[in-house]
Amino acid sequence: MRVTIDGSAVEVEPGTTILEAARQADTWIPTLCFDERLAPFGACRVCMVGVEGNPAPVPACTTPCRDGMNVDTQDPASRRVATAVVELVLSELPEPPAAHTELAQVAARLEVTDQPRWPGATHPVRQELDHPYLAFRHELCISCGRCVRACDEIQGAFALTAVGRGFEANVVAGMDSGFRESTCVSCGACADTCPTDAISERRLIEFGDVYATISGAGA
Amino acid sequence: MSRNLVEFARRGDATGAQTALEVLKQAVVDHREVTDEDRRRAAQISGLPEATVYGVSTFYDDLLAPVGRRHVRVCTGTACFAANGGAHADELRAGLGLEFGEVSDDGEVSLSETVCLGFCHSSPAVRSGDLIDAGDGAVARVLDDAATAAAEPAWRSLLPEPVLTKPGDWSGLRRALTELGAEALLTEVEEATVRGRGGAGFPAGTKWRFARNASGAPKYIVVNGDEGDPGSYIDKYLMEQNPVRLLEGVVLAGFAVGATRGFILTRSEYPRSKPVLERAIAQAHNDGWLGTNIQGSGFDFDIEVIEGAGSYVVGEETALLACLQGLRGTVSARPPFPAERGVHGLPTVVNNVETLANIPFIAAHGAAAYRALSPDSETNGSKLVCFNERFNAPTVVEVPFGITMRELCEEVAGGLRGGAGIKALQIGGPLGGILPASKLDTRFDFDDLAAEGCMVGHGSIVAFDERTNMRELAVHLLRFGAHESCGKCFPCRIGLRRAHDMFAAAEPVSRSRFEQLLDALELGSLCAHGSGMPAPLRSLLDHFPAELGLID
Repeated sequence: MRVTIDGSAVEVEPGTTILEAARQADTWIPTLCFDERLAPFGACRVCMVGVEGNPAPVPACTTPCRDGMNVDTQDPASRRVATAVVELVLSELPEPPAAHTELAQVAARLEVTDQPRWPGATHPVRQELDHPYLAFRHELCISCGRCVRACDEIQGAFALTAVGRGFEANVVAGMDSGFRESTCVSCGACADTCPTDAISERRLIEFGDVYATISGAGA
Repeated sequence: MSRNLVEFARRGDATGAQTALEVLKQAVVDHREVTDEDRRRAAQISGLPEATVYGVSTFYDDLLAPVGRRHVRVCTGTACFAANGGAHADELRAGLGLEFGEVSDDGEVSLSETVCLGFCHSSPAVRSGDLIDAGDGAVARVLDDAATAAAEPAWRSLLPEPVLTKPGDWSGLRRALTELGAEALLTEVEEATVRGRGGAGFPAGTKWRFARNASGAPKYIVVNGDEGDPGSYIDKYLMEQNPVRLLEGVVLAGFAVGATRGFILTRSEYPRSKPVLERAIAQAHNDGWLGTNIQGSGFDFDIEVIEGAGSYVVGEETALLACLQGLRGTVSARPPFPAERGVHGLPTVVNNVETLANIPFIAAHGAAAYRALSPDSETNGSKLVCFNERFNAPTVVEVPFGITMRELCEEVAGGLRGGAGIKALQIGGPLGGILPASKLDTRFDFDDLAAEGCMVGHGSIVAFDERTNMRELAVHLLRFGAHESCGKCFPCRIGLRRAHDMFAAAEPVSRSRFEQLLDALELGSLCAHGSGMPAPLRSLLDHFPAELGLID
């Protein structure tokens, strides 16, 4: 079937989402909770787009294309939502995300400033740095669920879970016992997909004495 | 919803295992808290991963904190707020010397808040153990450990022949099984256009047709008995006072759709619902209305009751399905719709309690008779409404659509206590707009209320009298909204917290920034919780701006 994304026609298979169609057409739609290796989740709401005939924006990642659909990625209401959401997300972090992270890049591209319209509480700093390969900085977690889903869908280790609800939502390993006491197999899929470095791979340089660290890891 | 976790839940169910949530709830009953050992056991029994079970144990209110030998839950719902602005909660905190979530040093008493106990006719309501006390003196009695069970006023019907308040008698199912057959029953329900009574108003027949046509077996009927809307006690009355009518509706849905199993999800805030329904189910088995080969028809159907554990958003259908399977009650994006992938990934119809309670009449008397129940309205059938304690005669009443809000408030419910004037109404739950007294001539109907930024919703009518401060009401609503956000979609997770904090602070609120936030919530949220919370706040901005403490 055929859909139009910002005026360009694209041929897509039935079941293709708007986001997949847009990527086929090389059209950028911002995303935070999306990872093409994982089932779409529909949580971050920055991928909202306008669809002709629809009164309100729809999420591109979970909305299947319909034949003849006319999609506007620059729809003003959708832009407002995306910008507001990125602003809200930045406002919950105690420090700005590192420039190389997906969150920082999406924020830059949407021209979200560091002057949030709705400032307020930030996540408490809580860091787990006892694992030899993975660092967990809970305060940078934006509950996009990518790590939890990567651990479930890619690795099948089920070492991670979402916890809490509302603003207090976060992610923990195992029974909040950290990676080492969980079913984590150190595959790194969580760190690889994390858009904020809340979970990141530790670099050898952090350890100083590499040999001491390796011998300590098995203990 | 993770396909893998749903598959684990399906396998657990196939072996008759308890869900993780059931094991965790039992732990609180047995030893008043959830320990890591309980979580490991829940994982082992249910087949879910340990981390997943940990996540479940951090989601539901009932599992969060250890409780004392006597657990006191104070209702902080909207009717209790309208009664006294929340003074009863402060009195209990002071009297017990406990904050919410705390247990006394000797382990005797604990305190938490809950929304809502469904005793909105007699606010304020407090639950002490499994006793729900309400009204004058309730706080003092609970402080003295002398709580008594509050009475529930009898419900009534304004219809010439009551429908929903009339005890169920299985006559609709008898006709469906012997005369109509499944296809004709489904056609009658489609022609009756039964709009969902849980809030969204989606036609039940359309849902049923999707599920009937969906491939996959077995199919399931899920009853949404998670009437979490503060101010609402309609489904409570239906489940507890007319369980046969509900069960009959569930079996009819199963027959029409080709399902063999039904689940009713009740609320833990309504401790009587599950036992009452289970007794009615046992009786129906004895009488041959449930089980195998129902009344010799060859149709098999069974129903089980599952109780939630404290979460408002579980009333959203995808979150409800997650809860039913013992998972965190977070919302999932649709598609896939439950009709395609519901319980255990199989075709599932999710209907509200009252919606299903409408079905026996349609099965017995047909769509035309059903359409005639509300002669002054385009909407078919009747509706149960309920009133809060501020009214002189608060109870559940069956009414035709099209009646005006003024008739409902002044004639049906007898006006407000002590001759007080109505300042505003909140209709249909916390996501319903606020109707100012100047608009009381609005008709109680889907389109008429929508035109005023309000909704039929669940049918609850909460009156605020002149004592209610609208900024405090905004804080009350947003506190509930932020607390109950499931935490999945970003606008709701962060935005409702920010919205609450703007109004809870002492400073004036920037109207333009607040409206920009409401815009993002409304357009961006994943479910009706985040997209619906702006409605009452917009009403307050429209009708009571002077009381809100706004700047540009």
